[in-house]
Amino acid sequence: MTGRVPSIACIGVIGKHNNPLHISLFPAEERAPLEFQFLLSSCLDIFEARLPHKTADQDFGLLQAVDERLAMYGWMTNTGVKFVVVVDMEGRPATALDSKSATAVGLRDADLKPAFRALQTAYIMLLRNAFYSPPIAANIEQRLGSTQITSRNFIREVQRIAGAWYPGVTNI
Amino acid sequence: MAQASPSNPTEPSTSYIDPTFSLVNTSCLDLLLIELVPMAYRITADLAAREDEWIHGPSSKAKQRKLSGASNDASSTAPGTLRGGAGVGTEGGPVGGGTVDEEEAREAVFHRLESVGYRVGLGVVERFSRDAPRPTTPLDSIKFLCKDLWTLLFRKQIDNLKTNHRGIYVLTDNTFKPITRMSFDTKKYDAAVQAALVAQTGDPALGRDANSQARVQPFLYFHAGVIRGCLDSLGIKATVTAECAALPAATFQIRTAGAKN
Repeated sequence: MTGRVPSIACIGVIGKHNNPLHISLFPAEERAPLEFQFLLSSCLDIFEARLPHKTADQDFGLLQAVDERLAMYGWMTNTGVKFVVVVDMEGRPATALDSKSATAVGLRDADLKPAFRALQTAYIMLLRNAFYSPPIAANIEQRLGSTQITSRNFIREVQRIAGAWYPGVTNI
Repeated sequence: MAQASPSNPTEPSTSYIDPTFSLVNTSCLDLLLIELVPMAYRITADLAAREDEWIHGPSSKAKQRKLSGASNDASSTAPGTLRGGAGVGTEGGPVGGGTVDEEEAREAVFHRLESVGYRVGLGVVERFSRDAPRPTTPLDSIKFLCKDLWTLLFRKQIDNLKTNHRGIYVLTDNTFKPITRMSFDTKKYDAAVQAALVAQTGDPALGRDANSQARVQPFLYFHAGVIRGCLDSLGIKATVTAECAALPAATFQIRTAGAKN
């Protein structure tokens, strides 16, 4: 397993009422959607359990390590929107550009920060779009309609973030 | 939420590039409101007229209704269009047919403007709470609204915050920026007329003040909606009512879900 570096396997955006807003898989054809839906659901409790201790920061760090390869990192905004990034530690083959240290050492929590910040910016940009109407709480409770984000700009931005991220990136 | 962006760069330096940072003249919100409120009245009047036509049918009953109903229609739509043409200076409150219609129209306008404000509130909080510490108690959220958001939106903090510690909060702004530029016809209600009115009714709140209050009220609906949106986004379900006792002061009463008097 030499010569493989971490990459983002999945990005999930979960709404305030634990409603799924968006799930992207990378690479989409190699990942099972249902498996990642389960993984995302399983981390909701972790968010809830840690919330009382998280008063200053929005970064929830490592939520859980699923197996040797997959690890889940979380971020929750003050408005209750959760971003979850699943990192595959052997996600893609190393290229000449990748530093040796990236493969040798595990990830630090700070490595994911730029990705989360970019995701949050993307979400804010989505809310600035007058044609996006945020899901209404009453509709979610009654399970009326889908709460999925359909904005192409947002989805494209999520894909860009997943592609641009690598361990040690400072700005996306 | 460009129209709500601050005009003073109070933005703290951040470690990331913020593409949402922009400066907007504060008059934009004033200008927007001038259009928004009469538009809400026009839409409501149009909808009411259409519904009326739908219910009573355009042909058979229309003739006999025309005598009774047309006056109703005319009086409910005409002020809207007149007001739109002549600006907001003409007549503030809806001068619909009966009191029931008037109340209904007021409610409809309130809901329209309030929901517009609600959507703005959601966006504003999402944007401006990203660097704030997480509010843990409802009072924290209200303080965030009074201090941080109010400064961003209206360039000043709330003057007074009262609470009964059971879920009701009263926010008082002694110089609420969006209504500071409003003026009223003081000639019509000068001291003599005012005194006569008071003598006639025995209520000093009538006359000039009552007239201006009713006209300012619709311009506060939008802001009540913004507040509700902000709080909802921070996890507090509440109803917000806005009142203007005397220009340019405004009072917002926030009643959170499950509040006790």
